[in-house]
Amino acid sequence: MRTFFAIVRATWLSASSYKVRSVLSFIGVLTGIVPLYFVSHALQPVMANVIRGEGHQYFAFLLLGTITFSFLPIAVSSLPTTVGSSIGNGTLEAVVGSPTSVGTLLAGLMGYSVMWTGARALVLLLAGALLGAALDWHHAPLGLGILVLIFVVHIPLGLIAAAAVLAFRTPGPFPQGVLVLSSLLGGVYYPTHVIPSWLERLSALFPLTYGLRALRRVMLDGQSLGAVYKDLGFLMLFIAVLFAIGLLAFSQALDYARRRGTLSNY
Amino acid sequence: MPQTLGQRSAAYAADPATGAAVAISLRGLSKRFPVQRTWADVLLHPTRIEYVTVVQPLSCDVQEGEFFGILGPNGAGKTTLFKMLAAALIPDMGTAVIHGLDVTRDARAVRRMVGVVMANDRTLYWRLSAIENLKLFGALHGLHGVVAARRIEEVLRIVGLEDAGTKLVANYSSGMRQRLLIARALLPRPRILLLDEPTRSLDPISARNFHDFLRKDVSAGEGCTVLVATHSSDEAMGLCDRVAILNKGALLASGTTDEIAARFGDQTFVVVTSRPDHPAFASLAARGTIGAPSVGESENGWARVSFTIPGGDAESAHVLDVLTSAGLPISRFERSTLALADLIQRVLSARGERG
Repeated sequence: MRTFFAIVRATWLSASSYKVRSVLSFIGVLTGIVPLYFVSHALQPVMANVIRGEGHQYFAFLLLGTITFSFLPIAVSSLPTTVGSSIGNGTLEAVVGSPTSVGTLLAGLMGYSVMWTGARALVLLLAGALLGAALDWHHAPLGLGILVLIFVVHIPLGLIAAAAVLAFRTPGPFPQGVLVLSSLLGGVYYPTHVIPSWLERLSALFPLTYGLRALRRVMLDGQSLGAVYKDLGFLMLFIAVLFAIGLLAFSQALDYARRRGTLSNY
Repeated sequence: MPQTLGQRSAAYAADPATGAAVAISLRGLSKRFPVQRTWADVLLHPTRIEYVTVVQPLSCDVQEGEFFGILGPNGAGKTTLFKMLAAALIPDMGTAVIHGLDVTRDARAVRRMVGVVMANDRTLYWRLSAIENLKLFGALHGLHGVVAARRIEEVLRIVGLEDAGTKLVANYSSGMRQRLLIARALLPRPRILLLDEPTRSLDPISARNFHDFLRKDVSAGEGCTVLVATHSSDEAMGLCDRVAILNKGALLASGTTDEIAARFGDQTFVVVTSRPDHPAFASLAARGTIGAPSVGESENGWARVSFTIPGGDAESAHVLDVLTSAGLPISRFERSTLALADLIQRVLSARGERG
């Protein structure tokens, strides 16, 4: 655990040395909520019936969707990006050449991004609450647990993308494809039942669909754990299957890179 | 029946010839890489894969506490060999066993024992200070808190960066970054230290201090086994107990530095004098004590006179005595250094091969 935090600390020190970028990142969060607020209020009369069962206020619906979706690029893209850049600058070979387990290294490399996104999400949530977002705060612990599951289920997709970077130097369109399709079919901006039925069937392939539905039912509609257990069951199933694939892909790719001598390529 | 870790340790515990403990044992270790192909080649022969052998089957032992030099030109396979020993690269064939642990099967345990300085300063985090870099890499080796802080202070002092520890690595000179790489390798007190061209970016004074430090503190003091890869025959012959000469991935020769010098050196000595035409040279040559002298370039009235001494080091003191007794003004008397290219050429000639 101390090693994990040491990696997170080093990443934080390195990232925060770019001061302007850090400040702009937080300003972006606060300015981003303004259009969210006005657009959602403008659409409230239309969306009120559409989102029934997952809340009643479109602003809160959109706020939770946006916050949840902000974690997806971290799970799906940050690992391949970090792996790619550290291959380029040579640090990957140095850290992977230490006796620390690969799991700790990967968690550490993602840790800072997760914490930073968590801080930004908290600011967004508080700003949303101040603007009147109707959230069921009694269910916050359960909601947080579901958010964690949504994040965790997407990590293996990042592992697969990172494996592609290790093997082919590029993740290809995979991470971007996952993010675009998840945002369109996963229910970030509207419930999945409003999309055409043939597309709705596709949305069942995306774990975000189940996670967001469960999160909104709990946090916006006041439903209990018992009401969302099926969605959570699907999430767990996705976690088991995707992690098996992701870990296998990453370990094979790492082994391949160690055989080919391509852990550093500068 | 498969061997257990303990059995393997015992099997590699001692060199049967000398009885000394074996730190590193290589048996038929080799590595090849696929050749980068052009688009035209890929389209014409999509299934063909061509390889270039970087390390040919290599067998040798390095004893515990030994100072071992890997001498070879660029592309000799030195860095690839070091990467395999550091468990950063998986060998294609053969075994490399370090203190009884196989670099492939017991990679994590091997990484705990091996400190490595590669000839690339990009492996440091440039946006962090030297201390923060060392804290991170210390943590990756299980060093935390006060123990880590003390050790970081110690290694920074060793490499002479104690006053620059809080400075960003991005603002370091290349020599300072090289010293930081060395500090990073020493941090976890490795039993094996792999140094890939360690004095590459060091100024002559730092390089000499670093050599002294390696000899006294790391090798003799801590009993650390040190492998130095270099393309400087001076550095290898002056620093190491034993040397292996590598060329195009093949081990050409290995032995103690004296053996290598005796087998492949040519006993050429140089005298820098203001009287290159002094009769003492002709007199020694006439007696056969030295070979025919040849006068080289002259600078500020001092010329280099080179000649062989068939009697080698043992006879060189006598030659110097004769020359000084004859009143010859001498500013320098030394054995001529052997360039790596010449050394490799001589080894190949001795093996009946062409360079």
